[in-house]
Formats: sequence, structure tokens, C-alpha cells
Amino acid sequence: MLILRVLARSSDELHGFEIAKSIETLSEDVLRVEEGSLYPALQRMLIKGWVKAEWGMTAENRRARYYRLTAAGRRQLQEEISRFERVMGAVTRVIQTA
Amino acid sequence: MQWLSAAFRRMRMFFSRRDRFDQDIEEEMRLHRDLRAREIEMQGATAQEADYAAQRRFGNTLLLREEIHQDWGLAWIDHLRQDLRYGLRLLRKSPAFTFIVVITLGLGIGANTAIFSVVNAVLLRPLPYSHPEQLLNVFENNLQKGIKASGCSWQDFQQLQQSGIFQSTAGAQRHDLTLTGTGSPAVVTTVVVTPEIFPLLDASPLAGRYFMPADNQPGSAPVVLLSEGVWRSRFGADQKIVGSSIHLDQQAFTVLGIMPAAFRVPVFGSHQEIWIPVAHDPLFGGWIDKRGVHFLRVMARMKPGVALTQVQSEADSISRKLASDFPVENGGWALHLAPLRAAIVGDVKTPLLVLLGAVGLVLLLACVNIANLLLARATLRAREMALRQAFGAKRGRIIRQLLTESLVPGLLGGVLGVVLACLSTRALRLLLPSDVPSTQPVQVDVWVLTFAVVVSMIASIGFGLAPALLAARTGFHTNFKDGAAASGLDVRRLRVRNLLTVAEIALAMVLVAAAGLLVRSLISMTSVDPGFQSTHLLKAEISLPRYQYSTPQQWSAFAETLLDRIHAQPGLRESALAVPLPLADSFVNLPFSLAGQATPATTPPTADYVSITPEYFRVMGIPLLRGRFFTREDSASSQRVAIISESLARLHFRDENPLGKKLVFGFPPDSNVAREIVGVVGNVRDAGLIQEPGPMMYVPFAQGPFWGGELVVKSTLASSAVIDSVREVVHGIDQNLPVTRIGTMSDVLEASVDQPRFRTWLLGAFGLVALLLAAIGVFGVVSYSVASRSREFGIRASLGASPATLGRMILMEGLSLAAIGLGIGLATALGLAHFLKSELYGIASYDPATFLASTAVLLVMVPAACYLPARQAMHADPMIALRYE
Repeated sequence: MLILRVLARSSDELHGFEIAKSIETLSEDVLRVEEGSLYPALQRMLIKGWVKAEWGMTAENRRARYYRLTAAGRRQLQEEISRFERVMGAVTRVIQTA
Repeated sequence: MQWLSAAFRRMRMFFSRRDRFDQDIEEEMRLHRDLRAREIEMQGATAQEADYAAQRRFGNTLLLREEIHQDWGLAWIDHLRQDLRYGLRLLRKSPAFTFIVVITLGLGIGANTAIFSVVNAVLLRPLPYSHPEQLLNVFENNLQKGIKASGCSWQDFQQLQQSGIFQSTAGAQRHDLTLTGTGSPAVVTTVVVTPEIFPLLDASPLAGRYFMPADNQPGSAPVVLLSEGVWRSRFGADQKIVGSSIHLDQQAFTVLGIMPAAFRVPVFGSHQEIWIPVAHDPLFGGWIDKRGVHFLRVMARMKPGVALTQVQSEADSISRKLASDFPVENGGWALHLAPLRAAIVGDVKTPLLVLLGAVGLVLLLACVNIANLLLARATLRAREMALRQAFGAKRGRIIRQLLTESLVPGLLGGVLGVVLACLSTRALRLLLPSDVPSTQPVQVDVWVLTFAVVVSMIASIGFGLAPALLAARTGFHTNFKDGAAASGLDVRRLRVRNLLTVAEIALAMVLVAAAGLLVRSLISMTSVDPGFQSTHLLKAEISLPRYQYSTPQQWSAFAETLLDRIHAQPGLRESALAVPLPLADSFVNLPFSLAGQATPATTPPTADYVSITPEYFRVMGIPLLRGRFFTREDSASSQRVAIISESLARLHFRDENPLGKKLVFGFPPDSNVAREIVGVVGNVRDAGLIQEPGPMMYVPFAQGPFWGGELVVKSTLASSAVIDSVREVVHGIDQNLPVTRIGTMSDVLEASVDQPRFRTWLLGAFGLVALLLAAIGVFGVVSYSVASRSREFGIRASLGASPATLGRMILMEGLSLAAIGLGIGLATALGLAHFLKSELYGIASYDPATFLASTAVLLVMVPAACYLPARQAMHADPMIALRYE
């Protein structure tokens, strides 16, 4: 979901490292996992058709794979956000009534 | 739908370059690490420290890549590839095993595929016409007279055409004509049609045009269509043939067009050479105004969206109206509609399904056998499996590996099977009535190939599953302990193998019993007395062109001259002319009535009509029961006479003496001639060898002449000599007369049971293969049991058991398996036998003799298969056995 968020926010296509950096800033370094696990996650999203990938050049003139959200990915993000909100709502209600 | 597009992306991945994919991932990850390292370096670390830190944060690249592979499903493919390679290597390492498995499977799959290709052609593939479901065959039934599926009369056909209940209707019938003027005279296979047949069958001519309704009007110019075959063989593919004229039965016909080689009017055989309109046929043209002659085979196309039941009820009301308008001719007759496919395919459905079932059982047996073999091998590979498990292979993974391994010989067997099926399709056409393959060519097409692949897959899983499951159940600790011959696993394996062997014996019993039933039935078919003696009997057909020989006087004169000259030849004294000849020709069923009796208006009795020359009964060996044979004195000018068959005498005269009584009958136009009965002869099976003989009535050829006939000659001379002199005599009378359909009457008898014989052969072969496979199975399991118990036998021998006792022990083991298998098989066979009922002649489907004999065969087979292993046990050396300890 984080990856989808990052890609949705960015107007541009991002390559792996850029996504990782954005996640870092977004989550304020709270969610730190093995950085490499980003790549299997991206591949899974490629299979599901949520993102598209294209090869391009970085500012330093190196080949990099750039990822972009597809329409299906955007829908998926919406769905996950609303599900998240439902769960959060329920949790909040439970906390309030307690 | 999402899974579908995901599956599609995976598929694309499967076919893309693997190394490229890995390189891309690698490059992407490297970029990430480099960028991170640079970032750390900027924070003040040395380059080396930064690299190290970046790598640590990134994680294990190799594991990550594995993960990605797994997600894409590549791991699965990797394993498949591995297992296949391993399977192939195993097969190469044990060529004998491979050979047996692949051959067994190949034969099994080949037989299945071949039979399926016939089923596919005949029962599954649609007829090669547009909207084949709309095509019908129209018959006329007269159930009161016991006549079914007869043709329609021309008048009834006209009625049907004008009623408008169909989109279109067309009629056809076969009547061969003599083609002269191009080389030697030849009888050409002619289908006489109405012009509507061509649009009905979506036909278009290769050149020229096909018939139009105007070409079928009485008085129009005679026209003909040539087949591509005749055009090439007889007219040298002459481009200018269209518009010129050819001579048929000495009459000029203008060639209107040429039909492509594939065109055929269904149900008239695969060999059709020319087509002419009904109005111009010398025979049928004269029947157009005869309401009582049901000669035309009618095909019809239903209007779109109309149900068969609805059209049938409309046809019923037409039949009713016809019957009330023309009670004499149409009383009792009713139109009957049937799908064209059913009419083409006829009664082959049950025999084909029986064969498919039988061949399926053979394959099942083959699979059981291979499973048995694999189980034996599994013992040898138990340590390998234990090792794999020790290294962490999961149960599912091992099952998959073993199944993949069995897929390799399975698919190899499949390939062999398809090759065999391709080779056998030509022979399998014999399974079908002669005219079926023309509309429904038996061939290996996409469906048949799919069938073969699916069958080989199922077979591979079928024989691989039991061994795989058992192997995966191995506790690995047990198998590292060597010499654990009597371990729990071995006992379990032996039990499974015993079970499989019992199944094999049961399956073999079913197939042997089925084959036995068919063989017995064939024997009773061929030992049926046809009513005549076929030994030394030759036949040949001589047909007179009707334009040249147009009057009955000419026909009898020709017959007289012909027989006079033939009788003058040495050794040809015993010869006669007959129309039609039993079994060789189709029978002619005509109504008759007793003279002086008030004839019941609607349902006169019928009998088969034959016109013969006086020598006929003697030549054919048909016995005279009462009265006399015909003589030369029974001529056109003398008293009309008839001879009847025993069954006609019994049916209609009971205890009275039929001699001197008069019957009114005759071939049109002589239908109302009263004939005095002068003799009674034995029954003859003229309609079919396995059909009960019906009533028959004979007239002297001179009093009921035809345009030619079948010459029968009883002679001890060589057939070629007989035929040569017959030809010489015929050509001596008329240079332009062809002598055709030459053969012995024994051949005619044989040919009439061709189809059942071929089916019996096939099923017999299946039974034999089943027996062989079961024998191998018994041999395998018993010798395995002997081998694994060699120590036990050694001990028994040292304790004083005689070799005979040991041998008996083994034999008893085999026989006890056999007893269970036979019991199950016998019950199954009895249960399934009623499917064969329609195939059987002269025996019951539970025929005790057949079942006893089949049981006996299997009871002989089992001890034979036990012989070698038993001998091995008998010679068990106590020393060798004990040395193991």
C-alpha cells in the first residue's frame, strides 16, 4: 500500500531507489525493512497489473527501471484506503466506547 | 477477470528470455545499492564501508531473486524442467524398462486414438454441409406390412415438395448405366437425382452447371453430370467435354457439367461416377406415374428454427391425406423423418461404443501393468527417495517429481500411439458401412490429437499416482536400514501390487469374455445355412443397355441365347440366370394375393420376388420339397407358373397343399398376373445371413424377364477359366456388353459378415493383449514376492520343506489372486455383457459356455505365469539365504 501511495503521489515515474527514499520520508523512517524486499513487491504488482515498468535513464545517465501506477493500481489503492479507514473507524469506535 | 490478465502476463513471461529477465532485476538492484552507497559515502564513510552498509540494508539478493521467481511461477517451471530432465535420464539408464513402458502405452494409446478417430468421424464431427442439423432423410414405412425405411414413391415426393413443410427436398436413387463409345464398354456407378439435390448439399460444379428443374421435365433433352474422377479417367480431362454428348445405355446424353471429386450424394456409397435426372433414367423414368413404387430416397432440409417433431406431425397429416385419397396405393404407408446423420451412420453407434469401451479397458490394463512395474522399481529407488526427504524435499514435491517422471514415458507412448493411429485409420474404415467414410472421412485431426494428448496425460497420472503416493509415504529412517526386506513399507507395497494384479485379472477376464462372446457369435453367423450351396459357385452380372434392348422379348431372347451358348461350353453345364441373386443383390419385396380370395383392401401380404431360369435351383443346390422345378416349357406363351418357398407355403397354406393354387403377383407392370404354384422349395436367406428367411416366390425368367441378370455357374474348373469363357460367350453375342461384379458365392457369403468379422477380430486382439498384459502382471508380482522372500524360502528349505511344497506355495499365491480377480471379472463381464446384446447372433449375452471357457483360459494363464518364479523358489538354496544373515 505504501508503494501504491508513493507512486500515486508522485506525478512522475519513479525508479526503485526513489520509491524507497519516498517511503522513508513518508513513514519518517519508522517502517524500516530490508530495502531489497521492495523489488519482489514491485514484481508482484507487475504481475497483478497495478504498476507498469519502463526502462529509462537517470539524471546521472544510468539505466533504471521506472514504475508508474496503472488505472487498476489506482483502483486498488482506493480500495485499500477505504478498507484501512473502515478498520481504523472500527478500532476508534472500540477505543471510544471502552 | 484479473486473474486472467495476470495469467496472461505470466504466460508471456514464460516465453520471454529468462537470462534477460534476471539481468534486468540484477541491474535494478545494483543501481539501488550503488545509489544508497553513494548516499552513505556522502555522510562521511569510506567507499568500502558504504558499499558494505548499503548491501546490508538491501538484504540477500539471491534470496530476493528466488522470491521473484517464485512469484512469477518460474520456480514451478524450473522444477518441471529439472524433473523432466531427470525423468529422461532415468529412462535412458534403463532402456528395457523404457521400451516396455513406451510400447505398452503406445499400443494402448494408439488403439484408443484409432478407435476414437472413427467415433469422432462418425458420431461427433458434424456432416460436411451447412446447418447439418436441418438435414433429414424421409422414408416411407408400412408397419402393417412390416416394411420400414423404404423409399418414397415419386407421387408422394411431389406431394411433399408442394406441401412446403420443408425448406427444400430432393430425391435420389442408384441405377448403374452402361457407358459406351469411350474405350471398352463399362458399367458406371450412376446416381439418379432430382435437381434440388445440388443446392441442398451446397454443391457447386467444377465446370459447367448442375441440373435445373427444367432438365428433369419429361420430354426434355437427356443430360448428365460427370464426376471429376470419370472425367479424368475416361475422358482424359478433356476441357471441351461440357456441351458434348456421351452414350449411356446406348442413348446420347449431353454433358452439362463436372462435379468436384469430393461431391457425393450421401448413402449411395463413396464411388459415384455420373449423375442424371430421374426423368431420363431408363428405369425410374417409367416409374414416375406409379404411386405404388417406393423407389426414391428423399432428403429434406428443415426450415430454420423448426423442430423435428413439428415437421413430423405435419408430415403425418400429409400421409393421412394420401392414404384417404389413394387407399389402394397409399393405405398403410406413412412418411417417417429421421436426421440425415442417423441414416448415414446407421447402426454402427453401438458397436463403435462397445469397441471404444473395450479399448479403454485395454489402456486401463496397460496402466495398471505399468503401475505394477513402477512399484517394483520404487523398491529400488526407496533409498533415493529417503535421501531426498532427508535433504528437505517435501512430500508434495516428491509426488510431483515422480508424476513428472511418469509423464515422460506417457507422452512418448502418446507420440507412438498417434503414429500407430495414423497408420491404422485406413484399415479402420472397414468398421463402417461402405458408404459412411465418404461423407465422414476417418482421419487424425485436431480433436483426435487432443484426445490422444489428454489420454496420455491421464494415463501417465493413472499409472504414476499409486507408486508416487507410496514412495512419498516412506519414512526415511526405515530405508536407510538395509536389509529391511520385510519392513512395513514393503508389505504395503506388496499389498498394493496384489490389488493391482487382481484388477488386471478382472479386466482381462472382462475383455476375454467379450471377445469370446463375439467369436462365438461370429461362428454361429458363419455356420448359418444360407439355404443354398456356395461351393464351386461363381457369379457375374450382365446388364443390358435398355435403349438397345428395350423389350421384354429381347431380354428373354438374350437370356436364352446366352445360356444355350454357355451350356455348350465344357464344364459350364450347371449355370443359370437369376434376378436378384440372394445376398449379392438387394432383395425385391412385392405384394401378392391368393387368387379367388377377396383381397384385404389395405394390407396385402408380401414376399421376396426372384426371376430365374429353369436350372437355377439345381445350380444353387436349393432343395425341391414338393411339385416340380421350372422347365423350358414354362415360356412366355404358356400357363403362368410360380414356385414358392417353404416359409411362404407354411404361412399362407398351412396344412393345405399349395400345388395347383394360384397366386396373383408380379414385377410391375405384371403385378396382377395370376400364377399357378407348381412347386415348393427350401428357404433361402436372401436379405442377410443373420436374418430369418422370409417368404419367397419365384417365376420363370421367360415369364418375368429383366434387362440382364446375375449369371451363376457351378463348375469345378478354375474360376479364371470359367470367367474367361463366360466373357467370351457374352462378347460373342454383343461386343458392347460388360461383365461385372464377378466373384464366388463364398465371397458373397463372407462379405455379408465383413463388419461383424472385423469387429470380432479387433475385440479378439484386445482380449489377447489383455491376457498378455495380465500374465506379465501376475508374473511380475509373483516373482517380486519370491525374490523378496528368498530368505524365508531358504529357511523353509533348511527346515525340510520340499521343492514341491515351495512351488505349490507360490502357485497357490498366484491362484488365490486369480480367484479373486476372476470372481470380480466374471461379475463385471456378466454385468457389461448386455451392452453386447445387439452385436450377438445365435447366443445369449450370458452364454455359459463362453464364460466357462474364458475362465478356463485365465486359469491356465495364471499357473503359466507363476511357473518361472515358482521354479526359482523351488530351487531356493538354504545356504545362500542364510548367508545373508
